Amino acid sequence: MSSMASAARLEARAEREYEKRRSRMMKKTPGDIIFNIVNYTVFAIFTIICIFPFYYLFINTISDNELVRKGLINFVPRGIHFENYIRLLQVNDLFGAFGITLARTIMGTLFMVLASAFVGYLVTKKEMWGRSFWYRFLVITMYFNAGIIPWYLNMAMLGLTNSFWAYIIPGIVAPYNIILVKTYIESAIPGELEESASLDGASHLTIFGTIILPLSKPILATIAIFGAVGHWNSFQDSLILMQSAPKLYTLQHRLYIYLNTTSNLSALMSAGSTSGISKSVLDSALNGKVIKYTIAMVTIIPILMVYPFMQRYFEKGIMIGAVKG
Amino acid sequence: MKKEKVARIAYYPYRIISVALLVILFFPGLNVARVSGLINRSTSLLTTGFSYGNLISNFGRAFRKGWVLESTMRLLNLSSLAICIGIIACAVGACLSLGNRRCKFAGNLISTVGAVVSACSMGGIWSAYFQIAATTKPSKVEPMFQNFFYIMLILLVLMVIVSIAVLFLVGRPEKDEKFEMETRFKLFLMFLPFIVLTFVFCYLPLWGWRYAFFDYKSGDTLSMSNFVAFKWFAQLVRNKSTTRDIVNVMKNTLAMSGLGIATSWMPMAFAIFLSEIKNSRFRRFVQTFTTIPNFISWVLVFAIAFCIFSTDGFISSMMINLGIWTEGKNFLMSGSNTWLKMLLWGLWKGLGWSAIIYIAGISGIDQQLYEAATVDGAGRFQKMWHVTVPGLMPTFYVLLLMAVAGILSNGMDQYLVFENSSNTTQIMVLDLYVYKMGIVKGAIPLSTVVGMLKSVISVTLLYVANTISKVLRGETIV
Repeated sequence: MSSMASAARLEARAEREYEKRRSRMMKKTPGDIIFNIVNYTVFAIFTIICIFPFYYLFINTISDNELVRKGLINFVPRGIHFENYIRLLQVNDLFGAFGITLARTIMGTLFMVLASAFVGYLVTKKEMWGRSFWYRFLVITMYFNAGIIPWYLNMAMLGLTNSFWAYIIPGIVAPYNIILVKTYIESAIPGELEESASLDGASHLTIFGTIILPLSKPILATIAIFGAVGHWNSFQDSLILMQSAPKLYTLQHRLYIYLNTTSNLSALMSAGSTSGISKSVLDSALNGKVIKYTIAMVTIIPILMVYPFMQRYFEKGIMIGAVKG
Repeated sequence: MKKEKVARIAYYPYRIISVALLVILFFPGLNVARVSGLINRSTSLLTTGFSYGNLISNFGRAFRKGWVLESTMRLLNLSSLAICIGIIACAVGACLSLGNRRCKFAGNLISTVGAVVSACSMGGIWSAYFQIAATTKPSKVEPMFQNFFYIMLILLVLMVIVSIAVLFLVGRPEKDEKFEMETRFKLFLMFLPFIVLTFVFCYLPLWGWRYAFFDYKSGDTLSMSNFVAFKWFAQLVRNKSTTRDIVNVMKNTLAMSGLGIATSWMPMAFAIFLSEIKNSRFRRFVQTFTTIPNFISWVLVFAIAFCIFSTDGFISSMMINLGIWTEGKNFLMSGSNTWLKMLLWGLWKGLGWSAIIYIAGISGIDQQLYEAATVDGAGRFQKMWHVTVPGLMPTFYVLLLMAVAGILSNGMDQYLVFENSSNTTQIMVLDLYVYKMGIVKGAIPLSTVVGMLKSVISVTLLYVANTISKVLRGETIV
């Protein structure tokens, strides 16, 4: 017995050595070396292009404002301070916009996830009356829309213009996420589990609450993260629907307004509400550029913070999405 | 036995009328409680009933001057509320009618009460109308009587009759019968709220296409007097300046989508070359950081563009510091190479992300194929070209067909944030044009026409792409 095991071990070692030699052999050709250098360089450059702007933005918000104004902060932060971030608290409408965006992100995501989970579960039930028809009725809406103007008129008709609920209610039913959940339930949750529960007399709602919801956590996390990012980034609905309710503007919308005003502070003030920016900010001889950078940074930071958690999930999401519902 | 058959038939008008009544609640055009011109045109019966503040928002002056009594508006509000609740009760009854005898009976009771309450409350609206009509200042208060009142009244009376009829036809259930419903209907009723939401937010907007056939300005009503048939459609072809605009917009749209399609191989190349990197830490690093831009909004992308390319941004200050330029340049305000710039921003944002699906695809390719290729003496590039690329082609085809189907929809966020006075003619894509014309300039009918044509063409393209895929690959893409 032991001789056989040692023979297998020897064989494995030989194989490993062969692999090593082969890979060393392959690396040795000069063409491969050039290829590798070029390949590594191109990817390194593209990666730098992708992250440098974030870094540049950040160092300009924490460096000495006078140096920033002169354009002297390019690669290394100097005179580090965090006053700009503290000053932002004095920009009243920004604070409100932050609250609105946070509220819609949390509520909108929560409702969307619960609805997607529930509907995704319901459409796996073959005995539902007219299931395939209603499922198609839902899914087909991904491929057409009436256009932005009829959509706007419809929202106005429903009384959802200048109302916070316009951010939440239309997003509750998300067909793509429903497909994801449905696919997941069908492929990852064994049907016997449900069967035995229903034999024990559990109702559909009980099964949903005690079996489906806990077991589909991975996919729900995926859609929750995508939903939250979507809510955080959304800008169009605020722009079109909240025309006469500046208090309900989202953070992105505020940022858009600030970016579009010329860089002097008086213009920045008149762009926001009258309470715009308090006098102390003006007195600090702060230029508009830094304010804009800081607001942008504040808007980006939450996304960068959830990003590490997202990464685990989004590949899974893409792969399940590639399987048709 | 016969009685049950009649009841089963009677349930059809019962359900249809309940649904019709429920839909009416949402339409401002069918609001019977709009008895004065001061009531906002876009208030539906539901709003009238549930939001008193909204109802009287324009009545401040009328109350102060005594043209309208507050009690009148209260009456109107409460009557509408009663009608709404009554109709909701009817809808509940209609839902319960899917169950057993016990459910049916309870539903019938509820809907009978609801229908009777609603029908009686119509009297409240009637009397509110006469109180408002008796105002001392008719020119300001504009009393109006909705002719739809009669239709609504007929519907409600019908509902009362049918409800009472089924109530007697079905009859009292056995004492020990429990509330029960077939599983298929129970599941359907659980699904129903989401069907309603989908209908309201995805299908109802289609009803707005009718604006394309009217001469409509914000706040007008649609009637035969401003019906213009295909005038706006004709204007697209006949009116010189509109035609010029449309041609320019189409040029931009197709150019930018075309550039996007022409570069759609790049994510695949990105993935293939990335997988050639053997150092897994570096690979992971690249993948992580090139994906980040996908998760920030276009507004933030513009903020990034601003900090790099504006007059006092990174490029300008670098150039000044190096003494190459004497003053900063604002790249964002120039109108040259707009299409290319938009393409590059799109790639910056999306390349790393779009590559993920191909990266996943590569890991799914059978390793034996590579080994066999090595044995056959294939080099690195030959393996990439003859093994990896064919393995990824199915995914590529699907995405390509989807891109072709979406050729008219480039979205508007990117172009809206980057648009300014100097690049506006090159950047105006279809979605942005519709937004500018409809929402900013208020040309609702014309922009509806453009949006409508866009939707129809897009759906047709998708259908064609799907058919092509079915014929060529035997697989549908949607």
